[in-house]
Amino acid sequence: MTSDKTSRTSHTAAQATVRVNANVPAGPTAAIVLHGMWRRGEGKFSIIVLGLWLIVAFVSLFWTPQPLLATDGYHVWATPSAAHWLGTDGTGADVLSWLMAGSRTNLLIVVLTVLFAAAFGLLLVAAMVARNGTLAGASVVVVDALISIPTVLLALILAVPLGASVTVIVVACGFGYGLNLARVARPAALLAARSSYVEAALASGASGWWTFVRHIVPNTLPVLLVQLSLSAGTAVLAESGLTYLGIGVPSGVPSWGHSLATSVKFINVYPLTVLWPGLIVTVVVVALNVFGDVLRDAVDPMVNAELRDGAAGADCDGGTLSDPLRAARPSHTVGQRTAVSVRGTADTDVAGRRSA
Amino acid sequence: MRFVVRRLLLFAAALFGVSVVVFAALRVLPGDVASVMAGLNSPASRVEALREQFGLNRPLPVQYIDWAGGLLRGDFGTSILTGRSVTSLIAARASITFPLIVLGLLIAIAIGVPLGVAATLARSSAARTAFHVAGLIGGAIPALWGGLLLILLFSRGTGLIGLFPSQGFPLDGWAAPGQAIWSLILPALTVGIIVGASLMRYTRSALGDIAGSGRIDMAMACGMTRAQAVIGVGLRLAMPQLVSVIGLTFAEMITGVMVIENLFALPGIGSGLVTDVGNRDLIAVQSELFMLAAFFLLVGLIVDLLHRALDPRLATAADASEVTA
Repeated sequence: MTSDKTSRTSHTAAQATVRVNANVPAGPTAAIVLHGMWRRGEGKFSIIVLGLWLIVAFVSLFWTPQPLLATDGYHVWATPSAAHWLGTDGTGADVLSWLMAGSRTNLLIVVLTVLFAAAFGLLLVAAMVARNGTLAGASVVVVDALISIPTVLLALILAVPLGASVTVIVVACGFGYGLNLARVARPAALLAARSSYVEAALASGASGWWTFVRHIVPNTLPVLLVQLSLSAGTAVLAESGLTYLGIGVPSGVPSWGHSLATSVKFINVYPLTVLWPGLIVTVVVVALNVFGDVLRDAVDPMVNAELRDGAAGADCDGGTLSDPLRAARPSHTVGQRTAVSVRGTADTDVAGRRSA
Repeated sequence: MRFVVRRLLLFAAALFGVSVVVFAALRVLPGDVASVMAGLNSPASRVEALREQFGLNRPLPVQYIDWAGGLLRGDFGTSILTGRSVTSLIAARASITFPLIVLGLLIAIAIGVPLGVAATLARSSAARTAFHVAGLIGGAIPALWGGLLLILLFSRGTGLIGLFPSQGFPLDGWAAPGQAIWSLILPALTVGIIVGASLMRYTRSALGDIAGSGRIDMAMACGMTRAQAVIGVGLRLAMPQLVSVIGLTFAEMITGVMVIENLFALPGIGSGLVTDVGNRDLIAVQSELFMLAAFFLLVGLIVDLLHRALDPRLATAADASEVTA
């Protein structure tokens, strides 16, 4: 139905799609995406919160209001003051300094967990949409079986030999979230894997892996972004829970979970010290959850008009451009879009390889 | 029928897989079981004696068959520390955890489903935003912190309004049911609010999908009011999906309430497991982990079968695809 149109525009569409896919992290596209996120209230909120988190984590490497190990024995459980903005805890350590230092531990955990989950999840997706039927069938069964093992159980199993460590959190969460990701991203990936543009790519001699990375993964991007940002939020929550149970961040290492867990013991005496770490975790988790939604919309040219206009300036029709991101959307519009995307990206592939 | 058989086979295979993973994890991962049990700096002879005592010096396949054979006969082994059988340990702990989860889930359903329906029915953008933000925040509160806030509000002694006890469970268990339930209220409320928030989001998105497909409009065209259509038609159509979510949530809560049990000093399954891991009571840990995973798989199985029974369309679709295949 769209073949005559796409065949006419195939070459320019190909170039433009290459440009967008290759340049998403850099150049004007990134600015457009960021601007698209900033326009929404939720986007502003999440960018500010996550930006502050990054800045504080970086600053805490060089400077905290008080040295971490400095304890002020004369001012135990002090109320907020000029010297101790959020007061001190039971050993006289500065609460604010520990929370600032904790932000970098949590950042490390979130980044590692998300990377682990993305790598593991995509590997599973690759297996699940493999052309080898046995491998695909077996991996679906394995994912179904493994997904029922709760993250906490896995963390406990790992904690038996490893003890409390960041590794336990990262591996247990990354493993669990990777399985979730694989399950959620599979339909979109399967749709792409069975499309005629992948067929065309393979027929023109592209390797299976290249086709996967170049054509199938971009189609799962909307699901991927949302799922990974949810995972990031869950990782922050998991850190606080696991650390409290004594199988997360080891004692002595600053983290938000650590701050929360230490204040728990004295809740009867100094209830207000409990407030800060919990508040920070809640705000950050909300920001992370919102971030994925807003980012997904901002990289979607059907939603973000600027992205579409920018692409039009680059001599391309918006419809074709949107497809790699749009085709995977789990909505009733999928059908009509895929038809277009099938052509667009298949041409891209052929053209891309030709020019290479 | 083919579906049921295939699902049962998957269940059996997964049980076997889990038993291997649990067994292997405690042995293959760094840290020899016996030396971990013996503790740091203990003499080699003590480690050797422990190995001998628990048969850890036998070849791994023999150990596995011994353990798995016991599981099949219903013998879960004996806790090293207390000398009690693991079965009785788990039974005692489950008598606290299960009521807690059921109570928490009831609270979650009572909060989540009506709010999800209300969020769907809301017309003004202010109300929609309010529901959206409430769902976001409810899902982002760390369980530990939520529990602490409730303690600060409602516990006897610490709270602003001293209503409920915040620590422990009656020593004589369910001998005094009123007291027992009373001590479960705060922890159940903590769980209920957090799970309720996610249930609300599920309900709303499920109803949204159904509305998007035009079936709510259809019901309204037939003369129903919007509220009638959403509750009568939408909720019925969303039911299979919601039952799945609730079932899986139930399974997740077994371990999910670990933090809550610890915070409220309830000797349930989760906090018991953490204690055993801390005490290096590895034979007990091994069987407990397996039982939890098995329970998980069982709930998954029941949910899948129930989902199928509640949604006749699935069976028809599968039959149709089998015919065409």
